[in-house]
Amino acid sequence: MTIQNPILPINNRYSAKILLLIVFLVTIYFIANNLGQTLQIFWLIGLSVGFVLQRSRLCFASGFRDLFLMKQGTTMKGILAGLGIAIIGFTMIMSGIYPEPNGVSIPSTGNILPVGIATIAGGLLFGVGMVLAGGCVSGSLYRMGEGYLTSWVAMIGIIIGNFILNQTWNWWWQFSINEDPLTWLPNEIGYSAAIFISLSLLLIAYIAIVKIETSVPTFIPPTITKVQKNISEQKTNFIQNFYPILTKIFKDGWSPVIGASVLAIINIIVFTRFAPLGVVGEISRWGAYIGDFFGIATPSLKGISSFGGCSLDEMMTGNFFAHNHFFMNTGIIVGSFSAALIANEFKLRISKSFIRYIQSFIGGIGMGYGAGLAIGCTIGAFFSAIPSLALSGWVFAFSLFIGAFIGSKIITKLM
Amino acid sequence: MSTKHTLDVRGEICPYPMIKTNKFLDNKKNHFESIEVITDHPPALSTIPPEAIKRGFACEVNESAAGEWTILLTKI
Repeated sequence: MTIQNPILPINNRYSAKILLLIVFLVTIYFIANNLGQTLQIFWLIGLSVGFVLQRSRLCFASGFRDLFLMKQGTTMKGILAGLGIAIIGFTMIMSGIYPEPNGVSIPSTGNILPVGIATIAGGLLFGVGMVLAGGCVSGSLYRMGEGYLTSWVAMIGIIIGNFILNQTWNWWWQFSINEDPLTWLPNEIGYSAAIFISLSLLLIAYIAIVKIETSVPTFIPPTITKVQKNISEQKTNFIQNFYPILTKIFKDGWSPVIGASVLAIINIIVFTRFAPLGVVGEISRWGAYIGDFFGIATPSLKGISSFGGCSLDEMMTGNFFAHNHFFMNTGIIVGSFSAALIANEFKLRISKSFIRYIQSFIGGIGMGYGAGLAIGCTIGAFFSAIPSLALSGWVFAFSLFIGAFIGSKIITKLM
Repeated sequence: MSTKHTLDVRGEICPYPMIKTNKFLDNKKNHFESIEVITDHPPALSTIPPEAIKRGFACEVNESAAGEWTILLTKI
């Protein structure tokens, strides 16, 4: 939907704001650069992710929820496109590490997670939680940057929920997770078949979405031809020729397909050097620090270090700020804030109804617990796991789908 | 005679701006030719118009202030 009269006030006040913003972003870059070897890279990754999420308003929660709520799949189709791109890119990287899957080993940096009752329970809780809170974990991060007070409340819930899960993790580990298989499709059927099956599942999902969309009558509006007024020959100078593209990038909202595809490309680029994107491990660390402050220690989490980037013990050492994912998560918030500021749509958004804060908080707890259980959120255990050719990604996705269905039933009652 | 209504959903989070608009449009008791929805929720700009079009309305989105938009829905 194009906006009729976009307001971009190119005045001194706006220019000063943008200049100040750039100075701030660059300053943090140099601070990060001095603090550790790769921190500044993660600062840039976080900023890019936040920027992309804000511009495209990409929301995994609405991707699932809107299928039920309005029989609309625009967002989910975008997510499918992103998954398709990432499947190809991730496979290129993984097949470089393991040209011949030997049936046992899995790429240690890929998001290949255990498949079991915890994946399903985690996905269900997460699915309900994200719909209740109106956004998933990454969604809450970027909405925090856009000025939504409810998302800050959701984040508190996420930290608490995740903290509670960590207290009970060792029980879950004994109960099920330690015996759950780390099923990596190339080990079972080889790369070609794994890619073929993954892409086919995306196609089936796409067809199912179209089926859902056509289940409701659609009014096709008559085409309205706009009469262009004031057509006159105008000389544009060199700078003015950049306005259309700048407006497209910085002012108009991007479509979900563009947003998810760019996010997938960022994910592939990050994976070429580090591990795929994931935001929950860092939130776990925040919870552990806050818990320590209140005198509740987080136990040593059994087995967790075997999953990429998740070793909490290791993360609890050294300078609190000198961690890659600290810069990434805060980068997402700041990146989204920057995107909103540039588009002149930042605003403190304070909900007037108390119930929204309650549902955001409870939804956050559900997401925090669920993400801990499934060892990842819609990014780590879904958007990075399916492209890692992990079975866990699909099981988690299906559980999210069911959870979102339950969530949609609940929220329509909370008007 | 045309009657103009305003629906202020500022401060509401996803998916309530859209649900509330749909509810208004679907309510047979409401007699109106056009309705102006005021929102500060960017995703609503991509969820409300398709839903309104489905129901037979033309949409026009205007930016009314920083981070605020009015969506004018008119019966076709």
